[in-house]
Order: sequence, then structure tokens, then C-alpha cells
Amino acid sequence: MAKTELRGSHGPAPDHVLTRWIGIENLARIGVYEKQGGYRSWKKAMTELEPAELTNEVKISGLRGRGGAGFPTGIKWGFLPPPDGGPRFVVVNADESEPGTAKDRYLMENNPHQLVEGILIACRAVSAQQAWIYIRGEYDLQHLAVQAAIDEARAAGYIGEKPYGVDFPVDIQLFRGHGAYICGEETALLESLEGKRAQPRSRPPFPAVKGAWGRPTLLNNVETLSTLPWIIEKGGAEYAKFGTEKSHGTRLFTVSGDVRKPGNYEMELGRPFRDLIEGMAGGARPGRKIKAWWPGGSSAPVLTGDLLDTPSDLEALAAAGSMGGSGGVIVADDTRCVVRMAYRLMQFYARESCGKCTPCRVGGNWAVRTYERVLSGHGTADDLALFDRVQSGLAAGRCLCGLGDAAGWVIQWTMARFREEYEEHCLRNECSVEGGGRAQPLPSTAASGDLPPPEGRKLAHA
Amino acid sequence: MSVERAGETVPETVVEEIRELPKRFQPGSRSAVMPALDLVQEELGYLTPAAMSQVAEALEIDPGYVEGVASFYSLFHLEPVGKHHFYVCNNLSCQLRGAEEILTHLKDAIGVGEYGEISQDGLFSCEPVECLGACEYAPVLRYHHRFHYDLTDAAVDKLIAAARGKRRDGKD
Ligand SMILES: Cc1cc2nc3c(=O)[nH]c(=O)nc-3n(C[C@H](O)[C@H](O)[C@H](O)COP(=O)(O)O)c2cc1C
Ligand code: FES
Repeated sequence: MAKTELRGSHGPAPDHVLTRWIGIENLARIGVYEKQGGYRSWKKAMTELEPAELTNEVKISGLRGRGGAGFPTGIKWGFLPPPDGGPRFVVVNADESEPGTAKDRYLMENNPHQLVEGILIACRAVSAQQAWIYIRGEYDLQHLAVQAAIDEARAAGYIGEKPYGVDFPVDIQLFRGHGAYICGEETALLESLEGKRAQPRSRPPFPAVKGAWGRPTLLNNVETLSTLPWIIEKGGAEYAKFGTEKSHGTRLFTVSGDVRKPGNYEMELGRPFRDLIEGMAGGARPGRKIKAWWPGGSSAPVLTGDLLDTPSDLEALAAAGSMGGSGGVIVADDTRCVVRMAYRLMQFYARESCGKCTPCRVGGNWAVRTYERVLSGHGTADDLALFDRVQSGLAAGRCLCGLGDAAGWVIQWTMARFREEYEEHCLRNECSVEGGGRAQPLPSTAASGDLPPPEGRKLAHA
Repeated sequence: MSVERAGETVPETVVEEIRELPKRFQPGSRSAVMPALDLVQEELGYLTPAAMSQVAEALEIDPGYVEGVASFYSLFHLEPVGKHHFYVCNNLSCQLRGAEEILTHLKDAIGVGEYGEISQDGLFSCEPVECLGACEYAPVLRYHHRFHYDLTDAAVDKLIAAARGKRRDGKD
């Protein structure tokens, strides 16, 4: 099979922290990685710095979690209680299932040793001697790439009984997920790792205190951990020079959908999204305009096309009415019906609800049925109000984890920002965007068996 | 229908492997359940009740628990699938790039009316799945443990032809 074309940042550039070595032939092999300077940070972490100094360096860097919540990484590390002689764990979130997000995959398949080195540094910092990488089951080749990197690092003595002669036995193992979005949520992930159905735990206790198998556990995302070798090599202060006052560093964004050059692009935080979407990703297709975009995976509230100049730091995104989320930027142009896209995302949240919290389990299906009724030409003014009620039942933190909120936001923010499209569908059963004035047939995945009988209204496309 | 019936149980060698799994994890934990189900599914193609009982026995837990875990995760099949099963992403980024058309074409090409249905010859089945985490290559599908990118109808046809042993180079 032909080699897969690399779609994203690679090679040296002033703001390439994560992707500076990507593109070098055979970077996944330990010899090549070492030749670039790889594993020097691990050596430094073992032979020159104390664990507390590692944490301090990360605090100074200002690095914030890249998995979705944006929590300051160094501060999280400080939450683990002092070692009590029992086991402690680092758990790596490689479940990457947020729609529109592919950057962890990009890092694992192109630079697996960088991740392994980052995991080792985190293990040392929090005195954990066992790391588990929870990797989604669909990432077969990435699993192999990371496993091969671990094996090479073990053979080189970087993982094992006495790395660099220091008495700190450390090991990394992989655990395969099996197709459930909820496993990306940290406590559901831990349940799954323990061999259970992946339903979130109530917090407190937080994983730092009581995580995997009831023991203190540090949970970080693949990208977060992949940043550590750079930080330890150059120092936290150097990393903090990138970005804005509160969002330091760079970020690997995935840009997908209606752009000419979809890919995983690394960019300094604070640079406007226009640089990313129109610059690196090539902008809209010829003759098209960007109408809607999700800046941080499908769980981040949708933004309108006139906001491309929004800076990419977390604060600016919050001010614009969205969030940084997973860094997965989904772009849709002016040929796309927002109601239909919202329906597609709603199907996702309804299917992926773990069923533990009633508002999420039931609300998602209500929303899907309402979308199907409206999109098939049976909408009424009542449905506008119904969307609102379903939305408020889902969001506002009524559920144990963020999935319910995210589902509610899909309705809330697509409706708030593209109200006229909802009105067109609900009040007139028309779609001026995709249907040329008519409602279009539902996709093949619709649960159309659940549709209510026509209410004496004429089907728009009949 | 001439679906090849998979055996109902896994051979003793696989059971032996399953018995070894708990050693990898914290003592007393149930973490071995999913890796065990993986071994079964690789062997049989799907999880039969009899094989889930074997897992339960080998790991000394109750079979209801095993099925409870198996039924939670979408990558575990509790019903038979075709010898060649396609997981086709149709989340938003893939849908924007034609996933719906790919799915329709695929169903026609393998001759099934519904997702999850097995083709008459027992060879093929397919299902739509959520974001596969490869959105820069949309539309994407996963097939025999690997991703296929930038899908077109022709690319899908090629996979099917190869599976039917009609590769032009005569291999397979
Ligand atoms: C429904 C849901 C899905 C999530 N999916 C992921 C995921 O796929 N990958 C990830 O790293 N974090 C995911 N998160 C965030 C994690 O719960 C957690 O915040 C993160 O892994 C912590 O790592 P970080 O501090 O390095 O970001 C998800 C959260 C929720 C509520
Ligand atoms: S939406 Fe298909 S791979 Fe992400």
C-alpha cells in the first residue's frame, strides 16, 4: 500500500513544538528519534531534576490540558497525595473520539516516542511506576506504533528496572478501548480500564486521590503529554513565551469538513482562526463561503462564519461564546443546512449516551425524534418551543459528565446562531439551503420508524 | 442463507490464553474481561453466549457480567457479521465529504438492504460508525483492522473485488 500522505504540520518552524520532527524518515524508530535529541529530556528528568522540579517546570510553562477541559497541567499534578508506598498510576487518555478530532492519532502514528518520553516524565514527576495508555480500539496501527516504541524504549533501558541507574522501576502498558465515546471522559475511562461498563463516576473523589483501582492517578491527554519533552528540554519559561497571557504554548488543531486542505496544524495559541482555516487549511472550496464552524470538536458551541478572526486562545473563544474543547475545528460552508448538521450531531450524542443519567439518556432521543419530524417536513411552531425545552433539560449540568451538556448545546447554539434556518424548517417546512426550498429526505441512518404519523400537513417534498 | 456458522465455543488454547490475562492487571480486578472478549471475537467473528460463558468461567466471574460488558461497547458483536465487515464513518466531517453516498453505494455493492445484514454469500456486512479520528482523510472507513482514506465508490468497489478474490494480479 502506498504511504499515507501526511496532512498537517511537520518540520522545523518557530512555533512547531509538537510537530518539529514529524516528517523525518523513520522517526518512529528509536535511533532516529534519539538522533534528533529524543530521550534527552527523560535523562534530564532522571539525572538532573527532582520530581518536584519537574512539576514546577510544567507549572511555569502554563501548559493546560489538551483533552478538552483545559485544566492547568502542573496544578493537576500537584493534586496527587504524597506517595504512601502503594501503587500510583499515570493513565493516558488516547481515546480520541470527539467528532472532528484526529490530532492525537497524528501524534501517535508519526511520533510515538515523543509520547512515550512524555509519559515517562509524568510518571517520574508524580512518582507513578505504572502507566496505562487507554487507546481507542479503532486505532489499530497507532496501537502497534506505540507498542513498538515502548518495546524499543524498554530494550534501550529507558523503561525498566533502573533507567539511567536510578532506582525507579517504571512500566507502560496499552489498554484497548472498544468503541464508546464516553470512555474519553476521565472517570468513565477508569471504569472501562477496570473492566466495567464505562459509566462516569461522581466526583469527588477525583482521580488524583482515588483513580484507577482506587489508587492515586494522574490522567492526561496524548497531546498534553507529548508536549513535555520539549518543556523539560528548553524549560517552562521558554514554553510560556508562546501564546497569550492565560493560554500559553501551541496547540495541534484538526481542521476538517469544507476546507481545501484538511489536516492537523500546529499553531501558537492566540493567533486568529483565520490563519488556521483560511491559511493553513486553504479556506473554503472555490466559490463558497464559510458559514458555520465548531472550534473545539462538536461539543464546543458552533460559531458563525463572520467570527474567523477570533483569536485561538481559550479566553478569546469563551468571549466569542464557545470554547477550546478538543481543538477539532469542523468547518461547514454555505451549502450546508445547519438543522441537518445539528441533527447529525444529535444522533451522535443520543447514541453515545451511556444511559446512567436520565436527562441525557432520554433527552437525546427526544431531540433526535424532533429533528427527524422537522427535517422530514412535519415541523410546526410547537417544535421550536420543544427544541428549547429539550435543550434546557439536557444542558445546565444536570448530568454527571459533560456529554449531556454538549448535547444540549448543539440545539441551543445552532438555534441561537442560525434561528432563521430553524424557523424555515419548523414554520414553513422548507430548506432554502440544501433543498432549494424543499425539505430533503432523511439519511439512511434515521430511526424513521419512530416518526409520528403526518399531522394532515402537506409534505414539502411530496 | 448460506452464512458460514462460526463455532459456538473457542478452543482450549484460547481459553488458556484468557486464563493468563489477569496477571497483567491489579490483583482482583476485572480488567481482563475486554481483552478476553477480543480474543474470542478474533477467533469466532462474534461473541456467542457459549463463548461468553467460557470467558466467565476462565476468569471466575458470572456470565451476566461478561455479557453486560460486551453489550456496552459497540466494537463487540453479539450477532454474526460478514467475513468482511466494513465500519464506515458517517460523523459530520465525513458526512460533509460524502459518507452518506459511500454507505449507500456500499450497501448496494454488497447486496444488503440494512446495516448489520449479512450478504447472501455470507461474505459481507457493514455499519455506519461515529468519528474514527481520521477526519483529515474524510470520508474514511475501517476494514480488517486498518483505515481506508479519501473514499470513493471506486475505492470501495476495489476492496470488495479484492475480498471476492477477483484481484487482477491474481493474488488471493
Ligand atoms: C464526554 C467526554 C468525552 C471526552 N473525550 C475525551 C477524549 O477523547 N480524549 C481526551 O483526552 N479527553 C477527553 N475528555 C476530557 C477528559 O475527561 C479529561 O478532561 C482529559 O482527558 C484530561 O486530560 P488533560 O488535562 O491532559 O486534558 C472528554 C470529556 C467528556 C466529558
Ligand atoms: S468524522 Fe469521519 S473520521 Fe472524523
